[in-house]
Parts: sequence; structure tokens; C-alpha cells
Amino acid sequence: MFTERQTRSFLDPAVLARLAAVPLVARRPMVGTVSGRHASPHRGSSVEFAEYRKYVPGDDLRRLDWRAFGRSDRHYVKEYEADTNLRLVLVLDTSGSMDFGSGPLTKIDYARRICGALGYLASQQGDAVGITCVADRVVRSLPPRRSPVHLRLVFDLLDEAKPAGPTRLPEVLHEVAETVRQRAVVAIVSDLFCDPESLAAAFSHLRFRRHDVAAFHLLDPQELAFEFQRPTRFLDMEGGGSIFADPIDIADRYQRAMTEYLDAIRGIVLESAIDYQRITVDEPYEQVLARFLVGRAVARGLR
Amino acid sequence: MTFLQPWLLAALPLMTLPLIIHLINQRRFQTLPWAAMQFLLAAKALSRGYSRLRHWLIMALRMLAVAALILAVARPLSRGWLALAAGGRPDSAIVIIDRSPSMQARQAAGGESKLDTGRRQVAAALATLRADRVMVVVDPVRGPQEVAAPEAIVDLATTGPSAAAADLPSLMRATYDFIRENAAGTTEVWICSDQRANDWRPDDGGWSGIRDAFAKLPQQVRFQLLAYSAAATGNVAVRVTSVRLETLGRDRRLVATITLSRQTEGESVALPVKFEIGGVTSAVDVKLDGHEAVLANHVIPLERSAITRGWGRVTIPADADPADNDFYFVYDVPPPRRSVVVAEDPASSRVLELMAGIPADRSEVDVEVVKPDSLATIDWNTVAAVFWQGSLPEGRNAEEVEALVKRGGQAVFFPPERPARGEFMGCSWGEWSDDAKATTAESWRTDQDLLANTLAGSALPLGEVEIHRSCALRGDLAPLATLAEGEPLVARAAGVDGVTFVATTPAARDSTLATEGVVLYAIVQRAIDRGLQSLGNARQLDAGPAAVEVNEVAWNRVAGGDAAPSTEAGWHAGVFSRGERLVAVNRPATEDTSPAVADERIDALFRGLSFARISGEAGDTDGIVQEIWRAFLITMLIALAVEGLLSLPRSHAHDPAGRRTRPLEAAA
Repeated sequence: MFTERQTRSFLDPAVLARLAAVPLVARRPMVGTVSGRHASPHRGSSVEFAEYRKYVPGDDLRRLDWRAFGRSDRHYVKEYEADTNLRLVLVLDTSGSMDFGSGPLTKIDYARRICGALGYLASQQGDAVGITCVADRVVRSLPPRRSPVHLRLVFDLLDEAKPAGPTRLPEVLHEVAETVRQRAVVAIVSDLFCDPESLAAAFSHLRFRRHDVAAFHLLDPQELAFEFQRPTRFLDMEGGGSIFADPIDIADRYQRAMTEYLDAIRGIVLESAIDYQRITVDEPYEQVLARFLVGRAVARGLR
Repeated sequence: MTFLQPWLLAALPLMTLPLIIHLINQRRFQTLPWAAMQFLLAAKALSRGYSRLRHWLIMALRMLAVAALILAVARPLSRGWLALAAGGRPDSAIVIIDRSPSMQARQAAGGESKLDTGRRQVAAALATLRADRVMVVVDPVRGPQEVAAPEAIVDLATTGPSAAAADLPSLMRATYDFIRENAAGTTEVWICSDQRANDWRPDDGGWSGIRDAFAKLPQQVRFQLLAYSAAATGNVAVRVTSVRLETLGRDRRLVATITLSRQTEGESVALPVKFEIGGVTSAVDVKLDGHEAVLANHVIPLERSAITRGWGRVTIPADADPADNDFYFVYDVPPPRRSVVVAEDPASSRVLELMAGIPADRSEVDVEVVKPDSLATIDWNTVAAVFWQGSLPEGRNAEEVEALVKRGGQAVFFPPERPARGEFMGCSWGEWSDDAKATTAESWRTDQDLLANTLAGSALPLGEVEIHRSCALRGDLAPLATLAEGEPLVARAAGVDGVTFVATTPAARDSTLATEGVVLYAIVQRAIDRGLQSLGNARQLDAGPAAVEVNEVAWNRVAGGDAAPSTEAGWHAGVFSRGERLVAVNRPATEDTSPAVADERIDALFRGLSFARISGEAGDTDGIVQEIWRAFLITMLIALAVEGLLSLPRSHAHDPAGRRTRPLEAAA
């Protein structure tokens, strides 16, 4: 698929090959343009029986169930599930805070890997892939398309994404909910450093538009542990001011604030039925994606 | 608190190290780009009260730990609650031990006496302090005596109990002389006493001089008073106030007056008082109400009536203080009541002769009346008292009278018609008052001396005596009776026992002493009685310097004082004989009744000096000086442990790092 053998730093073929074994499935019916492997809200011609329906004039006589007619002397039409493709919209947070990383990977590096892998997997199974880079607004956007060429454009966009500026994720998600007209899997990759209340409203908006929302919440281990030995001047990476503090002095209150925030996020995702993944960027992303894909596959099997 | 290694306290500023490190750390800040600013802002906005308190607590505990470590290595000493005088290890320690009879009081029956407790505690304290030299002072004449080791104080015979009062002013003077001449460097003076007034003599005029002298010493002198001032409850003291031998035909009998006294008033008790005379024991119950009971003129028949001289002992049952439960006495056939009346004025001469010639009992009486210029014919060695009305003796006469007074005789002087300039033993006559109006005595001492109350407790009717004119007295005198104007009527020469001045004469123109004869009769007979005590072969002496003569080899111990070395015999109660002479040595009378001096009064005696008091009790088992470095180490460990606990990260109900939401959970 890479005709120029262009390598992407965020793509690992071995990882992609292993992840390709598990399909990316939607948790809700998708309205696609072509036949695919995802459930559609419409009846179709798949092999999976859906329901019996009374014959009405004009129905294709080939779909009439003669055995049912023989048993009941009534005309029934046999309907099957329709399979279609899905639209994967990757929402990549490119605000300044995504540039933080205490380890070898910053949050944006990790986000690139997640988005790249998901995009590739979706494209491989014939789904349309689009991307929207957001910060305090929609920075750049590519609508979902199925072609491999479009996937390259998505990868290019991932390559070029530079974290900068403040976060206004809830507002941007409202915008995304309005602009993506058809049902889609919306995968948000962000550190979600915003007000949980407004985030809940944005998630509800996406759900209202019948999108299947998945959130990859990226956190750095140091942001969670907050373990420093020396007094520190903290510079806001999103352009705010600075704060001078003795970490030993305020660690407990920082931890309390962080815990309250994570609890709030947890409450929101439970209420909004968001497919939520909390990730520390020192975890292998392959493991994170495998957990994500398997989780969705199992959920579909249960349906 | 004191320290054995006080120089290590110079390291105390190191306790500020945690603070300095904290301040340096504050300056060594790092700058870090940070994403999760919203949580930092929230953390800043949250209440900082507890966090700030914890922060400063940790800092304080670290400083405390360092301080405790430094104090522990400086080897602190505890000196009880009240004695917090600063100071380190002394170069010399001088221990003044009050070993008077009252120091033998015990808090509980069979317990340790105040003296034993004091000696043990002082020895333990000095062993801990490790002074270079340790001296003990028990006798002002001998002064401080060096002991090999502090522990020896406990067993030293010279620090054992005695019957003499302590005389703290003299002991302090001896200590001062020693320090001035010998001791170099820091000196610590430990005083072990029960603060009795008769030992401390707080009214002694010498205290201010002692205080000033110590204050001027170049070396540092610290005083530590180990005070056992609590009175022993239920303690009763017995004393023979007087004893005389009477002969009735062929029978002889002793007539003794016994006094029982106690300092703390308790319930009425009947105490069996036991007499031991010549191996024969008799007993009589004496009821004690209040503070004092007197068994007056108790008659004890002597079985072997041929014996005219002997000794005896009075004892009462054991109580809190064993030192005052017995009393020795000696008796003898009284010598003739020989007195001399020297008078210029025949009227006075006649009255005095009559007063001296009528004894209260059937004693042999001899009153010699002479003119001042005929004194050479008198054998002064047999005279008990001289009554002198006229110009004060001069020349050889003065020498004779002085000798009489010094051997225990009495001299009572009445003013001459024309007072001359001469003086006797520092005292002289002034001018006659020319008041036309008669006056009377305003007040007089009823507790002791010539004007004391009668044995029945009645006061002499001195107030009824009219004084028409009086002669002024000059010199160092202690008034026994004063007139309304404050002038002395009867006075003793200070510092001399046996010289009395009466500021008027018995002549009718001067006073009604002759017509109201009781007072003058009591003065005359009491003076003769007192003088007789120096003439007889049997004498009662107070233990201490007054009985120093019995220390001589010629004296044999007849009874008592077994534990005392012969060189200290006069400091212990007992009976001693030398030829025909018998001496009974007992504790001074003041020892039975003297109260404890108030702490404030003692403090005043040491004002301006480094002084600390440690209050103790007889039988205390605790040491007064202990090394307490362990307490500081424990304090340090506790401080470090608490600091560690406070420094631990606070646990959270939800660990933000430890939770991950499963997809299915999210889907649910």
C-alpha cells in the first residue's frame, strides 16, 4: 500500500500485523455506502436472519418463504441483516499539553501511534477513515474516505500535527458532532484536560448524533504520581502563566484534585456509555489497542 | 539543669541546620513545563492550614531531634524540680551537714532519718558530679575536712548524728575562710539541713557579712540547699528543766521538773516518762495536751540515801525522732547559796541582803555585805552571785567580777547615785532620768531568764512595780524589761551570760522594787540559782562548744554517747565524770521547740548568691542528681519517628495511578 515505501515513525508493521487479527467493529449500527462487515440499521442480503415480515405487493417474490406459507397459509417475507462499512473519525488533541512526556514518548507521540494504527486497521477492513486535529478549534480536518490514498493523507496529517495552544475540547467536540453527519465511530485521543461537566455535554451531543464514541485518555505517569524532590516553577504548556510550588508541600492536594477529576471523568463515561480507555503513556500501545479491539469484538458477540 | 560536658552546648546552633537546609532547598528550584496545570491550580486553591502546620511541625521536630542529640551528648543532669541553677561540674564541693538532733527525725517508723537520707543523697549527687575535691564541714573550728570519695560521707563518723545545734552562720564562715584560702575554681557548697531556726539563726547579724564575703569571692560559688524542713509528726521531746537534791532528815530525794514538748499539736496523749537513777527505774504518766506539758517538782526518793552525787536519765517511748526521747541529768548536794552584796546605798544594801538571805528551800545561805572598798576579803571562788549597787567595778575588783562571770557566776548591777564614766564588759551607766512622774515596765521577757514566768505559768508582777526614776544604760545590751518610754529597765549584757543591769535601785526613792518585793526576790534568787550551777560538782551543759571541756582525756564517759569518738564527746549527749565532778551533756533547749525557718527567709539569707533549694523528705529513695541523657535520646527518637510519620505521603481513597477502566465497564 505504500508505493514509495515511505516509513512513518508512528507505525510499526509488526504491531499492525498482530492487531489486524482482531477486527475493528462498531458497537452501534453504521450507515455505510458499500457492503462491509458492520451491522446496518437497514435490512439487506447478508446470511444473518433478521425477521419475518408480511408480504406486501411489490416485494420480490424470491424472498417469499414458501415453507411458512405451507404451514400457515399466509405469505411472509424473510429478511436478513445488511452489512455495511463504517466511518472512523479520529479526533486528535493537538493542544500544547499533549507535548508533555516524562518518558521517551510524549502524549502526542503516543496519540499518533494510536491514531495511525486505528486508521490503518479500519482502512484495511474497507472502512472510511477521517481525522480532525483539534486544539482551541478544529485545526485541520480530513473527512472519512475509504481510499488508500486518503489514508496516506491522514498519515501525513498525523506527521504534521504539532501540539500548540490551549484546549477547548468540549466546544470542538460539539463542532465535530455537527459536522460529521452520518453515523461514525468517533475516536477521541486526548489528555482530556478540561472541565468534566462541559465534556459530558459534548459526549452526550455525539451520542445524540448516534456516533459510537471511543475516548483514549492519555496521561503521563508523572502527572499521576507527581513525585518531585525540589521546589519547582511549573510553566503552563498551553500558554498560561507559571506556578511556583514545593511539590512536597502540595503533593497531597494535587493528588486529591487529580483523584476528584478522574472520578468525575469516570462518572461521565459511565453515564454517556463512552468506550473509555485510560492510558498512561508508558504502557505499550499495542496492548492498549488490543484491549480496545477485543473489548468491542466481545461486546458485538454478546449482542 | 546542669551538664557534665557543657562545652558541647556550643554546638546547639546546629539545631537550625534543618531550617538552613530548607531555605537553601527553596532557592534551588527547577523550572518544568507542565501540562496538568488545572490540578496545580486546584491544589493551590485548596485549604493549606493542615499542610502548612504539618510542614512546620516536621521542621520543628527535625530541629528538636538535633537539639536533643546535642543535649544528650552534653550529659545533662537532673537536680529535681526546683533546682534548675545552671552550671557544670564543680572543681570543689563542700558539704555542710546539719547533724543536730532534729535531723534524726524519720518520716516513718523504722525509716531512714533526715540526716542519713541527706548524707546518702549528697554522696550520690557528688559521685555523679565528679568534683575534684570533696570536703565536709560539721564543725566551725575544724573547718572543711577533705574526704577521699563522696561515698565516704555516708560512713564518716564525724558526719554522724550529734546532740549539738549546727550553728550554720559559723559553718558558713568556716566554709568561706576555706574557699578564700584554698579552693580554686568553681565551688559548689551543699547544705544538708532541716532549716531549724536554732541552727540557722536567721537573725544573726553575721549573715549579711557572710553573704557579702561570698559575693566578693573571685571564684564562682554555688549553694545547693538540700532541705528536709517537714516537721516530724507526733514527735515528743523530753527535757529535765531542773533537778535538785533535797535532804529530809536521813532521807534524800530528787525533785525534778520535766517538760514534754512537741512542735505539731496532736491529740491528748498520756506518755509514760521513765526515770533511771543509779540502776533503779521508776515511771510516771504525763498527760500531754497542746504543745507542752510540765511535770513540776516530781519527787523521786533515793534508795541509797548515803549517796549524795549521781546521774540519771529520763526517757519516753520511741517516736519519730529518737534523739529527743531521753535526757541525762546529774545531781549533787547543792553548795551553800553564797552571795555578795556590794552597795553604796544602805537602803539598797539592806533590801538586797534580805532578798538574798531568804532561800526558797532549806539550803544553807551565806550573804556577805561589803563596801566597794572592802572587796579584797572575799573568796570569790565560792560566790554564786554578786549584787552590785554603786559605781561599776574597776581595776582588780573588775577582774574578780569578770572571772566570776566567766566561770558561770552571776553579777547584777544597780545604778549608783552619781554615775561615773567607767564601764564594765562594754556597758556603762548613763544619766538618771528626772521624771517626777512614776512609770512602770511596759513589757518583759516571760519565756526565759530572770523575769520568766513561774513554774506554775504565772507572770511576775513587774507591771505593778512603780519606777520613780531610772538610770540610762549604755552599751551592747539585750533588754529583758523595758519601760513605757522604751528605755530598758532590766537588760543583759549582750554576748555575756551572767551580767544583768537593773536601771533603778530598790531604794524607796527610786522604785517600789522593795515594797513590791516579789519581782526583786525572783531576780535575786534566780541569779543565785544560776550562779550556783557553776559552783556545784554536778553541772548540766548544752552539747557543742559549751561542753568542749569534756573532750579532754581526763574526762571519763559514764553514760551515753557511745558511738562518738572521744574527741567529739562534747557534741554528744551523755554523762561525764572527772574526779568528783559530774557533767551531763544534752541537746540545747532550743532544739526541742525551734520551728523551721520559712523558705523565703532562707532565700533572703542567700540573696545575691547562686542559690538553689531542693526539697526532700526523710527516706527519699530518689537521687537528687541523675544523668538524664537517656531521656534526651528517647526524645530524639520520638521526634524522628513522628517526623517520619508526618513526612509519609498521605494515603488517598482513590489512587489515580492505580485504576484503569475496562472497556466493558465503560460500555456499561
